[in-house]
Amino acid sequence: MGEVKKHDTPKVDQLKTGPWPSFVDDIYSYAEKHKNQACFDIMGQMELSYTNKETHWKHGGIVGVFGYGGGVIGRYSDQQEKFPAIWAFHTVRVHHTAGKWYHTSALKKLCDMWDSRGSGVVNFHGSTGDIILLGTVTDQLEPIFFDLTHQLHWDLGGSGSNLRSPACCMGKSRCEWALIDVQELDYELTMAFQDELHRPAFPYKFKFKFSGCPLDCVAAVARADMSFIGTWRDDIRIDQEAVRAYVRGELKPNAGAFSDRDWGPFDIKKEVIDLCPTKCMYWDENEQKLYINNSECNRCMHCIAVMPEALRPGQDTGIAILIGAKAPILEGAQLSTLIVPFMKVEPPYDELKDFIYKAWDYWMENGKNRERIGELIQRVGLNKFITEVMGLTPIPQHVRVPRDNPYIFWKEEEVEGGWTRDVAEFRKRHPA
Amino acid sequence: MNKEELKQKIIQIMEEKVKKGGKTKIYLKDLQREIPDANPREIKNAANELVREGKLEYFSTGSTVMFGLPGVGMGLEAGVEKPEE
Repeated sequence: MGEVKKHDTPKVDQLKTGPWPSFVDDIYSYAEKHKNQACFDIMGQMELSYTNKETHWKHGGIVGVFGYGGGVIGRYSDQQEKFPAIWAFHTVRVHHTAGKWYHTSALKKLCDMWDSRGSGVVNFHGSTGDIILLGTVTDQLEPIFFDLTHQLHWDLGGSGSNLRSPACCMGKSRCEWALIDVQELDYELTMAFQDELHRPAFPYKFKFKFSGCPLDCVAAVARADMSFIGTWRDDIRIDQEAVRAYVRGELKPNAGAFSDRDWGPFDIKKEVIDLCPTKCMYWDENEQKLYINNSECNRCMHCIAVMPEALRPGQDTGIAILIGAKAPILEGAQLSTLIVPFMKVEPPYDELKDFIYKAWDYWMENGKNRERIGELIQRVGLNKFITEVMGLTPIPQHVRVPRDNPYIFWKEEEVEGGWTRDVAEFRKRHPA
Repeated sequence: MNKEELKQKIIQIMEEKVKKGGKTKIYLKDLQREIPDANPREIKNAANELVREGKLEYFSTGSTVMFGLPGVGMGLEAGVEKPEE
């Protein structure tokens, strides 16, 4: 191995002085240990970007390995003479496991492969959820894919106009609140939609995310084009004695999660009842009893999170489906909209797959280039999407804001006699 | 339109665009617009099959994917050459 060339990086080095662990430390220590020129060059190019206040990366071109339309993001330096070791520095997305559980031996094998075939720099995990292997050259892409699939038995993740790698929370593997088996659902849909994952199918990206309960630890409602959130349709289970124990201060609210400072005695009215978004709860001070009007509850789970020993979700569980979250590109950031408040999900999930195909078919036919499904719904109207596209019956929960426009536009089929009815005949019966 | 006809039509559209001096890389949506009587999913399947046969190639913008004829227009390496050692 020849001598490595180090770059002077005073601006980048400042990032090492803060209170938090720094990627600069990590990359430099790896570069020194392995005499890795690419890592020194990344730091050098970053220093140049800080000086010039502009990026020196170019991207595009390569999408993957043969037969795959995603999984690799081509990346090149525009300062190739200064930083030849990173002239090409492609990103490889590796599909994470459901719930992101790995055996350490699998990770060691992955790192060994990446030490020899790439820069050695990894990111666990990217925003979409994938393991990100940062920095390799074009000639290494096929060997990396071979090693991943034949030796490690892993696959590339999604990128481009594909279904992106579905992501879920830890679900029943750790969490008592998991209302559905998100890992099973994630795995089943990932395997069912392999073609959409690896071969471009859509006008733009499409993301699935699964949360086991409405607390939504994976932030599906903010990030996924289609979110699947565990929910229930019967009543919240109440242990009145435990509620009273919270009120008397015998149990710590939020399971002691905010005990780092003294917040004063627990106040059920202030911390639970008044924060209920639908005002469906009532604490009777005289009776020392909690009442919940379950038909008004929107399953936000705040009360359950505050008093976990007293309240538990119902037992008739399923999923709520929301569509349309995205970050700001065309229309600005938006959260998902509730489309299906409750659906029972059981293998082989045929009803769910039919629902997904219906939404995809409409988007593929009517979506514009680079238009996410949430933007399409905004353009055609939620009413049309729910009724005409998905064939669902609108419910009050679909309405975010009551109508402020007094004019109602009827369709011909909604009017008795249509547009061709005999007005003279009508006026005989209604002369005024 | 069967799959073979669809594949021929896709190649024909791509070649005509290039001949007219139009774009050498196009979105799947643009293909669907050019063949309105075919189902978008069938067009997607045919275009992806053409890639597997080597008659088309993918080109990434980073966040979306386009289709192009191999060797026409900007190459996969986006005009970037490996520097001399």
